[in-house]
Amino acid sequence: MDAFVSAKSLKGPGKPTQGDRSVAGLENKSGMESQGLGGKTVGDVHVADPRMTCRHVNVFYGDKQAIRDVSIDIGRNEVLAMIGPSGCGKSTFLRCLNRMNDTIEGCRVTGTITLDGQDIYDPSLDVVLLRAQVGMVFQKPNPFPKSIYENVAYGPKIHGLAQSRDELDEIVETSLRKAGLWEEVKDRLQQSGTGLSGGQQQRLCIARAIAVNPEVILMDEPCSALDPIATGRIEDLIHELREQYSIVIVTHSMQQAARVSQRTAFFHMGDLIEVGPTDRIFTRPRHKLTEDYITGRFG
Amino acid sequence: MKRFFYAMTALCILAAAQAPVNASARDYIYIVGSSTVYPFSTTVAEQFGKAYGFKTPKVESTGTGGGFKLFCAGVGVEHPDISNASRAIKKSELETCAQNGVKEIVEVKIGFDGIVLANSKKAPVMQLSRKDIFMALASEIPDPKGGAGMVKNPFKTWKDVNPALPDVKIEVLGPPPTSGTRDAFLELAMEEGALEIASLKDLKKTDEKAFKKVAHSIREDGAWIDAGENDNLIVQKLLTNPNAVGVFGFSFLDQNTDKIQGAAVNGTTPTFETIAAQKYPLSRPLFFYVKKAHVGSIPGIPEFVKEFTEDKAWGPQGYLADKGLIPLPDAERASVRDAARAMKLLSMP
Amino acid sequence: MNKPFVTTSSSGVSSPSRTVTIVQASLHKRYRAEKRFRLLGLSAVICGLAFLAFMFVDIISKGYTAFLQTMVLVDIDVDPGEVHVGNLDQADYQGLVKKSLEKLFPEVTGRQEKRELYALVSSGAGTVVRQRVLEDTSMIGKTIALWVPANDDVDMVVKGHVERNLPESERRLGDRTLGWIEALESQGRITTRWNKTFFKSGDSREPELAGILGATAGSFYTILVTLVLSFPIGVAAALYLEEFAPKNRWTDLIEVNINNLAAVPSIVFGLLGLAVFLSFFGLPRSSPLVGGLVLTLMTLPTIIIAGRASLQAVPPSIRDAALSVGASRMQAVFHHVLPLALPGMLTGTIIGMGRALGETAPLLMVGMVAFIVDIPRGFTDPATVLPVQIYLWADSAERAFVEKTSAAILVLLAFLIAMNAAAVYLRNRFERRW
Repeated sequence: MDAFVSAKSLKGPGKPTQGDRSVAGLENKSGMESQGLGGKTVGDVHVADPRMTCRHVNVFYGDKQAIRDVSIDIGRNEVLAMIGPSGCGKSTFLRCLNRMNDTIEGCRVTGTITLDGQDIYDPSLDVVLLRAQVGMVFQKPNPFPKSIYENVAYGPKIHGLAQSRDELDEIVETSLRKAGLWEEVKDRLQQSGTGLSGGQQQRLCIARAIAVNPEVILMDEPCSALDPIATGRIEDLIHELREQYSIVIVTHSMQQAARVSQRTAFFHMGDLIEVGPTDRIFTRPRHKLTEDYITGRFG
Repeated sequence: MKRFFYAMTALCILAAAQAPVNASARDYIYIVGSSTVYPFSTTVAEQFGKAYGFKTPKVESTGTGGGFKLFCAGVGVEHPDISNASRAIKKSELETCAQNGVKEIVEVKIGFDGIVLANSKKAPVMQLSRKDIFMALASEIPDPKGGAGMVKNPFKTWKDVNPALPDVKIEVLGPPPTSGTRDAFLELAMEEGALEIASLKDLKKTDEKAFKKVAHSIREDGAWIDAGENDNLIVQKLLTNPNAVGVFGFSFLDQNTDKIQGAAVNGTTPTFETIAAQKYPLSRPLFFYVKKAHVGSIPGIPEFVKEFTEDKAWGPQGYLADKGLIPLPDAERASVRDAARAMKLLSMP
Repeated sequence: MNKPFVTTSSSGVSSPSRTVTIVQASLHKRYRAEKRFRLLGLSAVICGLAFLAFMFVDIISKGYTAFLQTMVLVDIDVDPGEVHVGNLDQADYQGLVKKSLEKLFPEVTGRQEKRELYALVSSGAGTVVRQRVLEDTSMIGKTIALWVPANDDVDMVVKGHVERNLPESERRLGDRTLGWIEALESQGRITTRWNKTFFKSGDSREPELAGILGATAGSFYTILVTLVLSFPIGVAAALYLEEFAPKNRWTDLIEVNINNLAAVPSIVFGLLGLAVFLSFFGLPRSSPLVGGLVLTLMTLPTIIIAGRASLQAVPPSIRDAALSVGASRMQAVFHHVLPLALPGMLTGTIIGMGRALGETAPLLMVGMVAFIVDIPRGFTDPATVLPVQIYLWADSAERAFVEKTSAAILVLLAFLIAMNAAAVYLRNRFERRW
C-alpha cells in the first residue's frame, strides 16, 4: 500500500544518485547472471572482501520451505538493504545470520553461512560468541524494563568486557554517544529505558547492540514503529555506523532502502530475486518482479 | 527483587534449622478413636495436663473403627497408646492387634451415651416405640395389610405408622452411614424394633443375615435424610422445621434443652437419670482401650487412667457429666476403676 | 476497504440516506440489548455481593461476642494455710475461688446447690489466682479482689444468647443460678471484657478457656513448610517446562498431568501423604512438617500452572533482546524473563497458599485433626491448623462454641484477606510494563 510512488521519487533528498537514467534496458533480463550461484538470482551476489557469506541457504519451518537456495555476500562497511513484499522471507533470512531462528520450534536451516570465514552453523561454534559478533535491532523497540544504564551495560557485563566500573561507564557512554542518545539521557541514566519515546528506545536498542562491539548489526525493520522524525535520526545513525560495522537492514520502505543502503537485495516468496547496487536496483531493475515491486504494481 | 530472594533464602535456613529434632521419642500420650468419646477424652486430657504436669495428650477424632485400625497397627512411639470406642472391640480387631504384637490391652468402660430422637419445642413431644421407629424408617417392612412377604415402606406420615402419633410427614434427619451414632441407632432402635414383629423375629432364627439386612436398611425415599456428621447442624435444622425429627447423641440434647426436646422411646424420655439407670432403651456403653506395652515408655499413662476414673471426672457429679457423659452405676464404676488402675488385661483370642 | 457493509438497495448501489435509516432503525434495539446486558451483569454482581454481605453479617453477628468474655469479680482470701511458699505451684487455688463464692452467697448450703454455685466461674479461675499469687507472693494472707472468667453457661446468659425469661425446664441454667447472676450483676460484680484468652491460649474443652493461638501457630508452621518447599519447586518446574524442556509427547503428557493434578480432590493428597510421609518415611504424625508436605503436593500444580502462565505472558521480544546481545538461554531467563514473570508467580503462589491455609480434608489423613492443647513450638510438635480448629469447634456440643467458631472464622478470613492483599501489593509493586 505504501508503494504508490514512482521510481524517480525514490531517491532520498540530499542523497546523490548515479544520474537520472531511464528505465531502458529493462528487457535485458538475461544479462549478468551470477556465476553458478543462486542460479535464479539476477545480479552479482559477490563482494570483493566479504564479512559474511551465505551459500545455498534453505530455511524450513516444519514442512514449509521459507527460504529457497539463497546465496549472498555481506561486505565490510556496507549497508545491505533487504526489501520485498510481506512474507517474502527477508526477516527469516536476517534471523539466520545470528541464528535467532534457533529459538523457533521446528525451524531448520541448511546451506553455509560464514562470518570471517568461520561457519556459523558449525556445531563447534558457540552461538553466544556468534551473537556477540552479530548484533541485532528489532522491529519493535524492546529495551529491557531496567534503567537506561543497565540496558546498555548488560551485554558488556555478561561477556565480561569491562574490567572495572569506570570502564563499564565508559563503554556505556561511548555506545550511547554512537547511538546519538547520550546528550538526551546523560542526566537520567538510572531511569527506566521503557520510559523513553519510541525513537529514543530504538536508539537505546542500537546502543545496546553496539555496546558489545559487534562486527555486523542486523536491523529488522527498525523504523516501522517510528514517526518520520525519529526515522530520520535512525537513518542518519545508520550512515554513521557504517564506518565501523557491516549493517544488514530489512525494510518495507523503499525510500528508506534507497536512502541508507549501498546494496539492495529483493526477496520474493522465499527466493532472492535480484541483488545489486542500490542505485541500479531502483533505476534499472533487471528482473520483471523487481520492477513491478519498486514501481508499486504489487506488494 | 534481590531482597525478596534473600528473604526466601533466610526462610529456608530458618526452616532447615528447625528440622526434625528427634522424631523417635514421644513425651505425650497419643489417643485416637470415636468422635462420641472425643469430648470426654479431651476434657480428661486437659484436666490431666493441668493437674499432673505432663504434656497434654493429643486426641485425634478418627471414629471407632479408624481408631482401632491405628491402635492395632503395632507397638512403638508412632502408634497410639489409647483408643476410644463407642462399642466394645470386635474379635476381628483383637486378632489384628494380636498379629501386630499388640497383645496386652486394658479395656475401660467409662459410661453410657444415649441416642435421642428429638424435635423442636414448638411441636408436641413424640411418644414412640422401637417398633414405630422401625416401621417408619425401614426401607422394607412386612406388609401392613396382612399379606405375606415384604413390601416397600408405604408410610407417609407418623399417623400412618401408628394412629396415636401426630399426622405429620415422616422426616428424620440423622447421621450418615460413616458415623458410629448411625451404627448404634441401627443396632439399638432398628434391630430391636424389628424383633418386636413376629415374622421378623422368626426370620432372625432361620436366617440371621437376611434379618440384619432388613433391620439395617434405612429408607432412601426422602423420609430419612443423611444430615452429615455435624450434630449441631441437625439441631439447627430442627429449629427451622418443627415437623422434622433428629437423631443424635444425648449431649446435644443436653446442651439445647431450651430449643429441642427428646422423644420418649417405649415410654421413657431421655434424661440423665433414665439413661444412667439404663431405663432409656437407646443407650450404648462407651470405652477406651489402653496399650499396656506403652506404659513405662510413654510417660503418664497410669496417671491418665487414674484421672479418668476419679469420681470427680466420671462420677455422677463429675466434670464429664457436665459434658453429657452418663456415668456407670456406682458398683460397676468401682469395679471397673479397680480393674483399670490395676491394668487388668483383656483376654486375647 | 470499499466493500458494502449494509445490504444494498434493489438497484445494487447503497445509497447513503438509506444506510442512515437502516442504522437508525436498529440503533434503538442495539442500545436496549446493551442496557439489558448491563443490568444483567449488575444484578449478578449485586447478587454475589448480597451473599457475601449475608455471610459476613451472619458470621460477625454470631462471632463478635467471642472477642468479649464475661468476668466475675471475686474477693479471694489468700489463706496462708492453703497457700505457702512450699506449694505455690500446686496449691488448691480453685478452692480459694470456691470459698470466695461461698462468702458472697452465705445462704447456699446444700451439696448440689454448692456445685451449682461453683459452676458460676470457669474451672480456669484458679489459674488466674495462681498467676496473681506467683507474680506477687506478698499477697499471701491478704484479700485480693480479682476478676476471674465466668463459666460458659453464665457467659451465654450475660451475653444474651440464652433467653432469661424462658420456663426453667427449658434452660440449661436453673432459676437459682439465674438469681445469683442477677445478684452479682446488681453488685457490679459482672462485666464483659476483651477476651485475651482467645488469642493467647490453645484449644480447650471449656469454651471460656479455648483460644486460637495453638491453631494459629500450627497454621504458621504448616504454611511456612508449604511455602518454602512449593515456591522454589514450583518456579523451577514452571521455568524448566516453559523455557527449556523440548516440546514433545512427554512434556505434553507432563502438562496434562499437572493440569489434572490441580483438579484432584485434596483428600487424595492426604491419602498420598499418609502412605508416603507417614508410613514410608516415618515422619511424625500430626506434625506441621507432614501437613506442610501434603499441602505442598496440593499447591504445586497451582503454582506451576500460574508460573507457566506468567512466563508465557512475558513478551518474546524481551527474550530476543537478551539473546541478541549474546546472553545464554539461562541468562536470558534468569536476568530478564524470570524477574518479569515473578509478580505473576507470586500471585499464584499466594493464592495457592491461601487455599492451603483453608484446607482441612488432607490434614485429616495425617492426623492434624486432633485435640491439641499445647502450643506447637516447632515443625515436629503435634499441631492443628485454623480451619481444623473451626471444624472441631463447630462439632462441639457446648453452646458457647458457636460464637468461638464464628470468631475463629473471622480470624481465618482476616488472614486470607491479608494474604490476598499482600498478593495485590506485590503484584503492583513489582509489576513492570513494557
